Amino acid sequence: MKKQSQISKGLLLFLFFFPVVLFAQETITGKVLNEGTGEGVPFINIVEDGTNNGTASDIDGNFSLTVSNLPVTLRIFSIGFTTKLVTVENAGAITVQVTESLEALEEIVVTGLGSSIKRANLANAVSTVSSEELIGNTGQTTVDGALYGKVTGVNITASSGAPGGGTALRLRGISSINGNNQPLFIVDGVYINNVEIPSGLRFASGANRGNEENSGNRLADIDPNDIQNIEILKGASAAAIYGTRANAGVVIITTKKGKGGKTKIRFSQDTGINVIQNKLGLRPWTATSVFNSFFTPNPDDPAAEARSRAAAEAEVAAFNNAVASGGLIDYEDEIYGNVGFISETKLSASGGSDKTRFYIGGSYRDEEGIIKNTGFDRFSIRSNIDHKISDIFDVSLSSNYVRSNSSRSFTGNENEGGLSFGYTLAFTRPWNNLFPDADGNYPNNPNYPGNPIFVRDQAKNEDSNNRFIQGIKFTTKLLTREKDKVKFVVNGGVDYLANETYVYVPETHQAQVGNQEGFVAEGRNNFTQFNLLAFAVWDHTALDGNLNLTTQGGVSYLEQQANLVNSRGSNLFGGQTSVDQSVNQVIDQTRSNQKDFGYFAQIEGNYKDQIIGTLGYRLDKSTLNGDVNKFYGFPKASLAINIANFDFWQFEPINQLKFRTAYGETGSSAAFGSAFTSLNPSNIGGNGGLSVDTRGDRDIEPETSAEFEVGMDIGILDSRISFEASYYNRKVSDLILSRNVPSSSGFTTETTNLADLVNEGLELAVRGDVYRSDNFYWNTGVQFYFNRSEVTRLDVPAFAQPGAGFGTGLGTFFIEEGQPVTQIVGNIDPDGDGPIEASLQQVGNVEPDFQMAFNNQFTLFKQIDVSFLLQWKQGGENLNLSRFLTDLGQTSPDLETPEGQARLGTAANAERFVEDAGYVRLREAAIYYRFPTNIVEGLFGETVEGVKLGISGRNLFTITDYSSYDPEVSVNGGAGLSSGIEVTPFPSSQQFYFHLNVNF
Amino acid sequence: MKNRLIMKTKYHLVLVLLFMVTASCSFDEEIDPNGPSLEGVETNASLRQLNELAIGVQATSRNGHGIETAASGTLARELYLFDADPRNTGDLLGKNGIQLDNNSFYSTAQFIGSYRCIKNANVLLEALDNTQVIDETDKNGYRGFAKTYIAYELIQILKSYGTARVDVADPDNLGPFLGFDATLVEIRSLLNEAQSDLSGFGPLDQFLFPISGFGDLIDTSGEMGDDVRDDDTEITIQEFILFNRAIAALAAVYAGDGSGALTELSNSYFDLTGSLTMGAKFVFGLGAGDQPNGVFRSPSASAEEPNNADQIIVHDSWINDAEAGDTRVAAKAAVRPSASAQDGLNGTHEIRLYASNVAPIDIIRNEELILLYAEASILANNLGDAETAINVIRNAANIGDKDYGTPTPTEAQLTTEMLEQRRYSLWCENHRMFDLRRYDLSNTLPIDRAGDQVFNIMPIPLSENQ
Repeated sequence: MKKQSQISKGLLLFLFFFPVVLFAQETITGKVLNEGTGEGVPFINIVEDGTNNGTASDIDGNFSLTVSNLPVTLRIFSIGFTTKLVTVENAGAITVQVTESLEALEEIVVTGLGSSIKRANLANAVSTVSSEELIGNTGQTTVDGALYGKVTGVNITASSGAPGGGTALRLRGISSINGNNQPLFIVDGVYINNVEIPSGLRFASGANRGNEENSGNRLADIDPNDIQNIEILKGASAAAIYGTRANAGVVIITTKKGKGGKTKIRFSQDTGINVIQNKLGLRPWTATSVFNSFFTPNPDDPAAEARSRAAAEAEVAAFNNAVASGGLIDYEDEIYGNVGFISETKLSASGGSDKTRFYIGGSYRDEEGIIKNTGFDRFSIRSNIDHKISDIFDVSLSSNYVRSNSSRSFTGNENEGGLSFGYTLAFTRPWNNLFPDADGNYPNNPNYPGNPIFVRDQAKNEDSNNRFIQGIKFTTKLLTREKDKVKFVVNGGVDYLANETYVYVPETHQAQVGNQEGFVAEGRNNFTQFNLLAFAVWDHTALDGNLNLTTQGGVSYLEQQANLVNSRGSNLFGGQTSVDQSVNQVIDQTRSNQKDFGYFAQIEGNYKDQIIGTLGYRLDKSTLNGDVNKFYGFPKASLAINIANFDFWQFEPINQLKFRTAYGETGSSAAFGSAFTSLNPSNIGGNGGLSVDTRGDRDIEPETSAEFEVGMDIGILDSRISFEASYYNRKVSDLILSRNVPSSSGFTTETTNLADLVNEGLELAVRGDVYRSDNFYWNTGVQFYFNRSEVTRLDVPAFAQPGAGFGTGLGTFFIEEGQPVTQIVGNIDPDGDGPIEASLQQVGNVEPDFQMAFNNQFTLFKQIDVSFLLQWKQGGENLNLSRFLTDLGQTSPDLETPEGQARLGTAANAERFVEDAGYVRLREAAIYYRFPTNIVEGLFGETVEGVKLGISGRNLFTITDYSSYDPEVSVNGGAGLSSGIEVTPFPSSQQFYFHLNVNF
Repeated sequence: MKNRLIMKTKYHLVLVLLFMVTASCSFDEEIDPNGPSLEGVETNASLRQLNELAIGVQATSRNGHGIETAASGTLARELYLFDADPRNTGDLLGKNGIQLDNNSFYSTAQFIGSYRCIKNANVLLEALDNTQVIDETDKNGYRGFAKTYIAYELIQILKSYGTARVDVADPDNLGPFLGFDATLVEIRSLLNEAQSDLSGFGPLDQFLFPISGFGDLIDTSGEMGDDVRDDDTEITIQEFILFNRAIAALAAVYAGDGSGALTELSNSYFDLTGSLTMGAKFVFGLGAGDQPNGVFRSPSASAEEPNNADQIIVHDSWINDAEAGDTRVAAKAAVRPSASAQDGLNGTHEIRLYASNVAPIDIIRNEELILLYAEASILANNLGDAETAINVIRNAANIGDKDYGTPTPTEAQLTTEMLEQRRYSLWCENHRMFDLRRYDLSNTLPIDRAGDQVFNIMPIPLSENQ
């Protein structure tokens, strides 16, 4: 103790003034036992109630605590156990029994960069997803995909059904359009990279932009199995302390840590299959319908009509011939009908001593897609070490290496590439045989420049990733006193990603012949992210222990570097697959470097768990802003009042009644490059020329969100039933938008601060143990939420968002004052009789009316666990342009119906292709059987602790009116306004698993 | 003591660390690592930068060309584009009553392309005003070049949209859209300014920057003193003026000024007896930053390996209306080995206009100049000259002199014949839609499907906020 008081003298000069108090000493020793198992409870906190004098039990549950005088009340608490108060009258040995708690209420939630708080005292609606909720039901490929239906206020869309990513997470609506609309992901203090990396395949497929290449997002590298819990700070009020990176919310992922005691080894093997979720089926052709589809009467030109008749009759002959010899070919089944094998093996060990705790986990997942030759595999190895160097110093290391590979083949939008399967299938007639002959020669597709069988078998679109994520946290307890504790924490890490992409289209591909004559693209993309936080936290107790104050302040630094190099070759030498084996070569390089620096400070006060308030402020600057050294401020404030904790509250059945309100601001800087007006190469005749391109804004400022949130939490019957409600209103100011400028200026787009946007919404959640008995346990949860948005200010005339749609002809997102930011607008002529009346009209809105999730767990006869998760999205429209293509190719499955034929006769505008995209889906369901302990012991003896077997499924059924594969779709990847527009995506899959878990 | 020292050190370390992090964080102004900045060339440009801008003007004059040609050809029922984008057979033909959209590729690509080129020319003009790296005379070489290109691009805008913004140098204060005639007045005065900028050079003077696609204009005969020059690979400035005047003749004809056009033609490379193909060209390449020929489509190999999918299909009327033996038909179109229909449309022939995806496209060739001469002669009432010129074209196509049924064909007969020869000589070169519009003949086009409509002008792009 003496040692420490001398440190404080240094500290007195440094920061604060601390009263130095000396006290008398009595020593209590004892052991804490788990009431359920009788075993000692390691590392549980034992604190003299109302003070900060405390200790923790050792690995066997023993503790020793020195107190100033007796009698004393000890508060014994830890996550996972019900807090117990014990009065000790005499010094000496005691035994305390604690019971395992039913989580929830005592859960700890992050509220600052250096502090956390009991959920019961939280003033924001922070959603937490535990490991069990995340992966407990069924196999999960990616973290974001695993969150479907588990968090209120979140909207998840998949831009691709390919295994291994392609998912966009939106928290509380759209907060940014051209900035970062994806939340900030932090894994153990490391800001991680969630980029979608373009592969250059658009240069072969003719897709319009990199985001139409349907790349995976790199959150796919994080193994969901390593995750202990995920905290989701959905809005600015909760995420304000993360400042300029937090506009789209923050997702804080904490990986598993070792617990003291016996080393636990867990093994599990999941084996499963991927199959297409929803086949659209073949149009039920008849000879008559074949003729009618391909014959165009032309009374004015008998010669043309005769030719058309001849062509249609040729199709009928081919149809009849096919029917006579083996039937029509179902190319949808041929391409999407693969049964993909899934295997995931996980092995982890955790344990430790009182000084050092460890978790080591390794996993290998290998997943084949529903298209032959597609798939994803990921090898991940993690080691988390926590070491207590002394009473003063702690260090935690979290290390993760990931190798992942994926093969995604060709889907989505294209122009004349003949590659995208959906595009090709729309025009492929089932009476044409496209299979290779005995010599391996693939016939040309007579109706589209690509043979899908050839593309599936011979063309490649692959990527591989080597990734290191290394986090470190170094904690120094500068002062530990009865009423004051000061610690200094340095926390940071590095995320290094080396990505390689490879696209190969053979020179024999139909669209390549006479054009590019073969195409290969090799990408070498490096990303390094580095972030560091250094801060001090001062816990102070006042008013006889009734008021706890936590003050923190510090600095934060972030640097992100990227270097993307894409080399492409075309006109390949026969059979060659390397860039240098080509006649024409092109190399692109894109570099970026961004740095942020910020200060933050926050103070939290807790008066007897009755009134809890927080005030905080963050100052950030970023090289992404026009003025790189200008600081932008982001305040926050929150207040929670726990009515049920006040002395006057006597109504026992309600144990928690909390009203909370919070306000906070966050920001988002423009994407790298937005400040520059640069010239691009534009060459002719072998001479290098320069051309203007995008117009930048040297004065660009961050867009900022200001969010106000109110809510209430109710806990009934010891929180057996809990209810949570939150309303939020978030105003995004100075929204950064890329818009089409008058192209007569020579520029096409400009990115600048242009608009204000408001999102408001309601989130409700109820959870309860409906039934608890020895042989039947039922826990259920219902979530309900919706969001509404409106553009409240727009400095320029309304415009079609570039890159978010296909023009006002087919439908596009359209930024317009007074309208939702998610509206789809098209040029509609109401009666189709002339140009005068055609006008821009809102034809749909991709924002759902509301979403619900219904989550249930049952335990039967103690050994059988049954669970299912049902998700309901009501409303929200999609623009289904796949149908445009299949209509044109006469292959839409409904074209034998009068409704289908009527549709063919209508103008091909946005109104025709807008469809309701609501659905009800059984997202996850599982049944597990846990072998009783005596059987396990009988079979394996003492070595095996538990064995669990299970079967589960994902996307088991979907009820929807949507006519294509899956209403969750996005042709433009995860960026900005992207979801809800469909052009021939990779169809989503259904998964079935068999699980085996063994604990040693 | 030792512990105390450690503690002090620790606390000092914290302070030092905090100080270092705080102090080391003054960020430098960001510069774009991925390309040169516009500001950097607008003042004190080096000769190299000026030349890069000049090359950029030429390179971007090709922007949007492929889409423009296919779209206007479709509107004029010269062709269909069968490809992945259904709007090429839907919107452009007014299928089921749909209107042209002002925010789709077919209405924006050529607009963006032309104004991108004009912007680059304006950037070059501004850079010239703000650099001392070359003297005023040499600057005038660049200026004459840049203004000629601006004028050419404005003509393209007029053809597609019937109106144009002329004053576009300041992106924040764009001038108004001018009417067709007013724009042509500006274009013709710009071309004359360019000519005057270029007039101060000697017969052997060349541009200081490389220029591509003008090889045909290089006079290697020695008549212009080339015998004393060792470099016949680059065009002289005086030879470039021939191109400037060809464009001026084009503008004059579109303005209805026949005698003006005849004067301009006499100063251009127009040659009634010369090679029809002679002229300035867009050249293409597959190298980095270059562009391929956007009109070329792979030919079908055989009935087994047809290319029906990304293909320009010749409109049947163009085949059927041709005079027997017209060599232009066989030269520009070939029978499709497997003529599959798309979107209820069909045609027997596919395009053979270009041999490869790097084949050059004519900007304006002698054949067009001869047709302009015929048209200008009609406008100037020199009907005999017009008939002669038309017959030059007809004989080149192996269909002989036209028999009008009278030794002195009327102005109307000659106009009809002139337009018909333009239809075959300039097929799929972005002329037919404009020719029909300016002679008010768009309503004579055939309708291929019930519910289709004929459009002859593109809507101004939405982003112009008109």
